[in-house]
Amino acid sequence: MLSADFVIATAVGYVGLLFVLAFFGDRRARANKKSFLHSPAVYTLSISVYCTSWTFYGAVGNAAHSGLEFLTIYLGPTLVFVGWWFLLRRLVRISHNQRITSLADLLSSRFGKSNRLAVLVTCIAVIGIAPYIALQLKAVTSSIQAVAGSSEFGQGSLAGIDDVGLAFGIAAAMALFTILFGTRHVDAKEQHHGVVAAIAFEAVVKLGALLAVGIFVVYAGGGLEPIFRRAAELGVKAPTENTFNDRWLTTLVLSVAAIVCLPRQFQVTVVENSDESHLRVAGWAFPAYMLLMSLFILPIAVFGLSVMPAGSNPDMFALTLPMFYGQSPLALLAFIGGFSSATSMIILESIALSIMVSNHIVMPLVLRFSSSQPSADGQGVSRLLLVARRFSIILILSLGFFYFFFTRDSNALAPIGLISFTAIAQFFPAVLAALFWRDASLKGATSAIAAGFVIWVWCSFLPSFESVSPQVAMLVQHGPWGIAWLRPEALFGLDRLDPLSHAAFWSLTINVLTLTVVSLLTRQSALERIQSTLFVDVFRHGSTPQGNFVRGSATANDLFFVAERVLGDRRAAALFESAARESGVDPDRLEPSSEFIGRLERELAGSIGAASAHVMLSKVVTGSDVSLEEVMQMADETQQVIEYSQQLEKTSAELRSTARKLEDANTQLRELDSQKDEFLSQVSHEVRTPMTSIRSFSEILLDPQGIDDTQRQHFVSTIHQESLRLTRLLDEILDLSALERGERSWDNVPVDAEAALDRALRVCDALLRQRNMQVELGERASATMVEGDADRLCQVFINLVSNAVKYNDSSKPVLRVTSMVRSGSFSVEIADNGPGIPKSERTLIFEKFSRGKQGASDQSGAGLGLAISRQIIARMNGTLELVPGPLSGACFRVRLPVVR
Amino acid sequence: MMAEPRKLVSSMLALTVFGALLFVPPLVLVFNQPISHFGIPQIVIYLFTVWLLLIVGTALLSRSLPPGDPDKSATPEDD
Repeated sequence: MLSADFVIATAVGYVGLLFVLAFFGDRRARANKKSFLHSPAVYTLSISVYCTSWTFYGAVGNAAHSGLEFLTIYLGPTLVFVGWWFLLRRLVRISHNQRITSLADLLSSRFGKSNRLAVLVTCIAVIGIAPYIALQLKAVTSSIQAVAGSSEFGQGSLAGIDDVGLAFGIAAAMALFTILFGTRHVDAKEQHHGVVAAIAFEAVVKLGALLAVGIFVVYAGGGLEPIFRRAAELGVKAPTENTFNDRWLTTLVLSVAAIVCLPRQFQVTVVENSDESHLRVAGWAFPAYMLLMSLFILPIAVFGLSVMPAGSNPDMFALTLPMFYGQSPLALLAFIGGFSSATSMIILESIALSIMVSNHIVMPLVLRFSSSQPSADGQGVSRLLLVARRFSIILILSLGFFYFFFTRDSNALAPIGLISFTAIAQFFPAVLAALFWRDASLKGATSAIAAGFVIWVWCSFLPSFESVSPQVAMLVQHGPWGIAWLRPEALFGLDRLDPLSHAAFWSLTINVLTLTVVSLLTRQSALERIQSTLFVDVFRHGSTPQGNFVRGSATANDLFFVAERVLGDRRAAALFESAARESGVDPDRLEPSSEFIGRLERELAGSIGAASAHVMLSKVVTGSDVSLEEVMQMADETQQVIEYSQQLEKTSAELRSTARKLEDANTQLRELDSQKDEFLSQVSHEVRTPMTSIRSFSEILLDPQGIDDTQRQHFVSTIHQESLRLTRLLDEILDLSALERGERSWDNVPVDAEAALDRALRVCDALLRQRNMQVELGERASATMVEGDADRLCQVFINLVSNAVKYNDSSKPVLRVTSMVRSGSFSVEIADNGPGIPKSERTLIFEKFSRGKQGASDQSGAGLGLAISRQIIARMNGTLELVPGPLSGACFRVRLPVVR
Repeated sequence: MMAEPRKLVSSMLALTVFGALLFVPPLVLVFNQPISHFGIPQIVIYLFTVWLLLIVGTALLSRSLPPGDPDKSATPEDD
């Protein structure tokens, strides 16, 4: 007969075997990449860590209670693996690309590397898994007690130790074992080859054990048919009538979610996956494994129900049936099988959870409360991570133990597991959204998971304490403060569903609703958008280079320091050397490119999670929080296009203005040209008149007959006059053009303007007398000094006076001359009582060759006088203008600044 | 057998979807009769048969799919 001492000793020995297996597996896997440990078979077997003692013991109990319902727990995962191409392959590819270390890391990475979300997911996972751990403790405890209670001397050294003490011992041993197993070093990709090897071995053991028990049962019962018939005769046949109800659907959905979201399943299926192609095999092999596991569960349950004494625990049939038939070796095998399934689950689950806790809770805290360079010790972070993991393993097992302690008398195995499944299923909508829905946002995912978790606590977690706490029982019965519609198992008055379906329905419905609505209402950050593209389009982009940092102020030295702290000396050096080799420079002179920083970030993420790695590098690469490379690149290109078009615009504007200037210059040239033509035609016209008369008179003179001397005298004098006029004209033209070109210059010196005026009047005296012109002298200024040239000034006055004389056709011609000094300028007005200048001519009279048409008795002038005069006065900084005069005729005013 | 990869993927989706439909009401109710074959309840035989067919179907389809992705450089290991 078996005794408790014996099975405990066997269990310890078995664990020792596992440890050796793990140790050598690890060494072998490291030494040889092609070892069978990297084969799809080992991968598939490690996934079967899904089948825990819940399967080994609980499924039989469940089948005894509720018939085929236990099958859904395996049918759901079967569907996920049948469709591995769509969900698992995507998960694995993304996790490889992004160096994902856990489910929390996946969600955090997808939703903008948010650490808050990672913390939320981690906390929920730790709390949600506690019942599941408790289930394993309970199963192992029950199995040991079942052995102990089977005979009078079976108790052995367990005498006097109750369930709680035993469970505590188991939990403590498990914690120690897991710490020894899983936290020996921090791995690059969080892959634990040794552990996986041990898990695969355990998978074979538990399958073998359950199949052995099943075959024995069929043999003992005389075949399948007699077993079912006998059960039917005894009336203990498993209830199949009402199996396919809401619970069936609920457990199916929950198990679909669980196979993806359970931390240990994510760990073995996604993180520990070393080759994507292994999924091809696992896609059919894992369902086949589960099929074999479930094959004999119903016969065992039915047979147990019909042969075992009433009141025996159906959960333990797999162990107690062989003992009942006195098959000690088989019973021992069954015990080891059950123990195997429990240990593998506890080891992997607590390793997976401890990675989440250390990466997402401890690491960010360390980063926050330390300066950017906390310790000079290169291994600081590595060691810190290991310590954090060890403590979190203890914490996780303690939580499981406490849950077991509070609910030890309440439940069969399967319902406890389903409480955990419901909690873990809260991640499923967010995971699906992360992989397939581009617009799912951080706020949406966070609030959805939080809302689902709150409802799970209220509807599923809390009621599980109903049997141990009267307060909780009251609450479940009547609702808080007697509010009936808040009753945990009949929320909003929905009491038609069984409690599990009720909790799953409300939590998942509100979860999905929140995720959808909040995501639609909120806006994604830049990092979220980039990550969502990397996730959703993972197969479109293939291996998109991912660099979220722009080469900032970080030096290779800073980066090496960070890398060394997390990865350790050797791996950091290897990483930097390979990067230096690729870029073909000396490792000391490596310039960290954004690509390299991105690679480093992924490597760090493999050890400490995406969010922590991002924060850590942000501290070194300053100003990098907003500098997302893709965004920058896009912005860069846009900027280049904008700059280019701006340059084009600028050039074309310059060209336009040049063209306009040229056009202006052209117009000016044309105008000047036409002015020149006009001037030339006027000059030739002016020259032609005297030339014509000179020519005709000289022709007459050439013929000496027919003219007397008087006539001859007259002709010669006319020729003389005309040539004088011509000379004068040419002189004037020369003078004017010299003035206009500024060639004829004189020095402006102070001269007496009044004296110049007097001199001009004296010169014109003869002319005035000749016309009997009366000169009226008005107000006269005293001697006034102006800047100028006396002769030139005199010339201007003479011109004005002679004009007044020439154009005056009045019978009693009058000339009025006044001069005065007003506000710093000397002005002279010369007015006459002639015909004046008509309005139409007033603007023209200062132009060249323009002559007054009215009243000119003698048209001998070339019409250049006023133009010359105006030029002269302008050179003296004065003005010459036509003003309304005191007499009927024209009045010209000369103004010159007075010299002080 | 060598079919178009896209059709294989579609078949895989169909297998998954129809597999799911075969496991849930109302289809399961059709087979949930109090009849036994070889002493085993019909519904048990039905569920296990569908399960087995899904496994075989997946194995065949996975095997026919072209190995790896074009963009994947790593060569699959020997099984």
